[in-house]
Formats: sequence, C-alpha cells, structure tokens
Amino acid sequence: MHAPPGRRSICEGVLEVSAQERETANVGAGLWRGIGMWAWILFRISGLVLAAYLFVHIWVISQGRVSGASTLNSFFSTFDKPFLVFLDSVLVAAVLYHALNGVRILLMDLGVGITRHKAVFWICMLIAAAAVWGFAYKAIPFIF
Amino acid sequence: MRTETLDRSRGGMWPWLGQRVTAVVILVTIMVHLVLTHFVAIGQLSYANIGERLAVTAVLVNDILLLLAVVYHALNGVRMVVLDYGFKGSGARHGLAAFLWIVGVVAVVYGIWALWVWVS
Repeated sequence: MHAPPGRRSICEGVLEVSAQERETANVGAGLWRGIGMWAWILFRISGLVLAAYLFVHIWVISQGRVSGASTLNSFFSTFDKPFLVFLDSVLVAAVLYHALNGVRILLMDLGVGITRHKAVFWICMLIAAAAVWGFAYKAIPFIF
Repeated sequence: MRTETLDRSRGGMWPWLGQRVTAVVILVTIMVHLVLTHFVAIGQLSYANIGERLAVTAVLVNDILLLLAVVYHALNGVRMVVLDYGFKGSGARHGLAAFLWIVGVVAVVYGIWALWVWVS
C-alpha cells in the first residue's frame, strides 16, 4: 500500500498520524483501515469481555467461602451444560486472542519485527489458533 | 509525531509500563491456570478439586500472582478505554484512577480472602 499524496508512510501499511490529526480525530486517525483496525477492535472487545468475566469469576469462586462447599458445587453442576462449556471455550479463545495480539504489541513496542508487522501478526494468530484448537479438542467431549 | 502512549491525558508512563509488566506476568500465570483446569483436571471441577490444586504452594502462588496482575491489567485497560472517549480533564482523570484503585484493592483483598478457605 502506498501513502496517499501529502501523507508519509512509516512502514508498509502504517501511515504517520500528525499531532493535529490526533487532536481533531478521536482515536487513531489514519489507522482505520485494514487488518490492524480489526485487530484493534477485537483486542478492545475481548479485553472488556475478559474484564467483565474476571469479576464474575472472582464472585463465583468466592462462594466457596461465603456460602460453603455445597453452594459452590451446585454452581458447578449448573454450569455443567454443553452450551456453557462451549461458552467456556469461547472465553479461552478470547484469552488466547488477547494474549497473542498482546505479544504482537509488546514486540512492536520493543521494535522487534516492525518492518514485517503483518507476518508477525499472522504468526501470532497461528499460535493462538493452534492453542485454541488444543483447548477445544479437550472440551468437545463435554459439548457433544 | 507526538508520542501517544506517554501523553498524560492518554494514560501516563507508569500505567503504560505497568500494563506491559502485568501482561508478561499474566501470560505465564494464566497458561498455568488454564492448563491445570482444562487439561490436568478436566471435568473434575469441584470445591474439593480446587482444594487439592491450591494445596500445592506453587499453584497457590501462581493464582495469587495472576489475581494481582489481572485485576491491575483489567482495570487499567478499562481506564484506557474510558480515557479514549472522555474524562480528559485532570480532575476527572485522577478521580477515575482513584475509583479504579479502590475497586482493584477491594477485588484483590476479597479474592485472596475467598481463596484462603482452601488454605487454612
């Protein structure tokens, strides 16, 4: 991709954003294109979902102390349904996407692979997909 | 080009560093947490099973480290999202940070208090 007239490209697929553009546009002006945009949106959504789940998770597990062993065990048998196990696998996928896209961000912050950032992104996604498959493979007997 | 991540109204330097340090801690501890629950003890989730796992000191340390790092990481993440859309003034920003610190400290203390039923 070539930079449009009057715009400078930092590297392949990344346009420079001026301070003025940052002030007037809300978030990431010039970044709203291509895979990077979707990676960012998914990162944000998965982050918010995981943050919400974290507090639900703390509350559920705390019932072991608050209400006792039998209450916690009844929670677990309530969760022991194919659809909820499937949702648990979706949660694992959200963790792994957020983790591997996060690894990509850490690498970019350190300047590792910036000039080949698209390849780095897809390698990270491949690792995430392989790990999700590993977890899903174990969960399948509880879903079907 | 202005450096967006180090701009105070966009989060500040220490939270930026904190988010990355906790990311690395979570990367390791959450994988231990997930492999133990989804591979080692799959299909055995119960009050007794949690007790067996937390009886191993390394697992207890792992889960407490995960709790500390993930609560910071989640709330700082929420803060970053909020700062992208508002709370840009100095007072609002500090108020938001103070509120989230209180939520975080309460969540961590409550979480460790709850886990301790399996330790004591």
